[in-house]
Amino acid sequence: MEQYIIDLLTTGAIVLFGTIGLALFGIFFGLLYKGVDRKLSAHMQGRIGPPIRQPFRDVSKLFVKENIIPENAIPWIFNLAPLAGLIATISILLYIPIGGFEPLLSSKGDLILILYLLIIPSLAMVTGGFSSGSPYATVGAQREMVTMIAYEFPLAIIIIAIAWKLSINLQNTNVFALSTITATPIWNFVGPLGFLGCLVLLFVLVVVTPAELSKIPFDSPEAETELAGGLLAEYSGRNLAMFYLTDGVKTVVMASIIVALFFPFNIWRMIGLDALPAISLEAIPIYTAEIIFFLIKVLLVILFSLTLIRVSVARLKIDQIVYTYWVPLTLLALVGLICIMWDGWTMEGHIINIFGFKIQWSAWPSMFKLLGIP
Amino acid sequence: MLLFIAILDTFKLLLKTLSTNSGFWNPLVWCSVIVIAFLIVYSIRSFGNKEYKKDNEQVKTFLSGNPEYEKEQMHVKSSNVYWGFTETLKWVYNLLNKMHTGNVSDYVLWFVVTMAIFFILIGVMI
Repeated sequence: MEQYIIDLLTTGAIVLFGTIGLALFGIFFGLLYKGVDRKLSAHMQGRIGPPIRQPFRDVSKLFVKENIIPENAIPWIFNLAPLAGLIATISILLYIPIGGFEPLLSSKGDLILILYLLIIPSLAMVTGGFSSGSPYATVGAQREMVTMIAYEFPLAIIIIAIAWKLSINLQNTNVFALSTITATPIWNFVGPLGFLGCLVLLFVLVVVTPAELSKIPFDSPEAETELAGGLLAEYSGRNLAMFYLTDGVKTVVMASIIVALFFPFNIWRMIGLDALPAISLEAIPIYTAEIIFFLIKVLLVILFSLTLIRVSVARLKIDQIVYTYWVPLTLLALVGLICIMWDGWTMEGHIINIFGFKIQWSAWPSMFKLLGIP
Repeated sequence: MLLFIAILDTFKLLLKTLSTNSGFWNPLVWCSVIVIAFLIVYSIRSFGNKEYKKDNEQVKTFLSGNPEYEKEQMHVKSSNVYWGFTETLKWVYNLLNKMHTGNVSDYVLWFVVTMAIFFILIGVMI
């Protein structure tokens, strides 16, 4: 029983301090990355752009502004929606590996839970939009719902493909646990065909990310030029600030998920250590390097999946968004899945009969071994 | 003491991580995270200005200067909620509409054809 009480207290402490710490981390770095994104995109378009600290100023300015509730709105839903979005987004941070370390609640929730939690911020925006009582916001909310339906399908294929591949190679292990996925990078288990499949899935995930975050070219739910902000048209003051913070934190969440699924490499593994050393004064440089390495990876993911895409492509119409996700991207994701599936067969040493020629592909080693990476 | 043990056992049951063969999550831990996150977010929000002037034009819905109609006329109808989706897949819907003749013998034919395809597939797989 003593052990149980100790476990209970440990979980309680992790939940309490983890939530506080990661909420502050997510909000700070969410706003910081937002600033970097704006600065980089401005330079790409030949502008000077706002200073990197501009998002912090935006939030502080919004806090001073009036928090207007339209007369047509349903006040309690209108006020609750921004809170619900930010709360759900913060809760995801506890289930994903932040700073290159194991998730704080790695044994309390898996990748499927994260997929469900990712829906809540979008649903909060939809609810807030519908409760605004504005035609612009209602159209925006309708578009957000349709966008959600569109990108969930290819996203699910990506998750299934990775989990399936890991389940072939790791027996009796929960392959949906992010601690498993990060401890055993998928690149270690794939041959050339699987490597190609993983690249295709990574590309699809990179294209899904702007839609998850309602960014150009998939920002038709907000569409400032035609819908005057869409589902956020009636929001102002501290309620709008909450959505602004949600956007920042969700950016960190999405980038961290991509890092966890496809780039879970650690400094301590690269320098040849068997495990992350216990917390001590000597281990501080490794921990610091690990966190900096993680932040750089997140920045690079944001650069390629958000900044580069939004400065180079125009906004798509809502029916074009659905077509993009349901036809080319779903087909691409299925091609990636098939590549990984066939690679799984080849890596297992199955004999494949092609036009009468029986070929055993078991000689194909992992792509990493082919490239000479240990 | 017995009461304490009973309470502890209840907690044990509640704190149990639900697990299938391929997924797991702990609802109570998630709820605890949500409660703490709510307190954090609510306290951050409380730094903001909660006042606004209720007796002027700013509480009216923004319509780009267009006249405001009755609420019933301004709302997006439920039949239009999935417009982008139905517009993209209208070729599928058109095809299904043509197939949806209302003639029972057509439906029976579809049923027989589908079953035949399934039986062939199952036969080949087995």
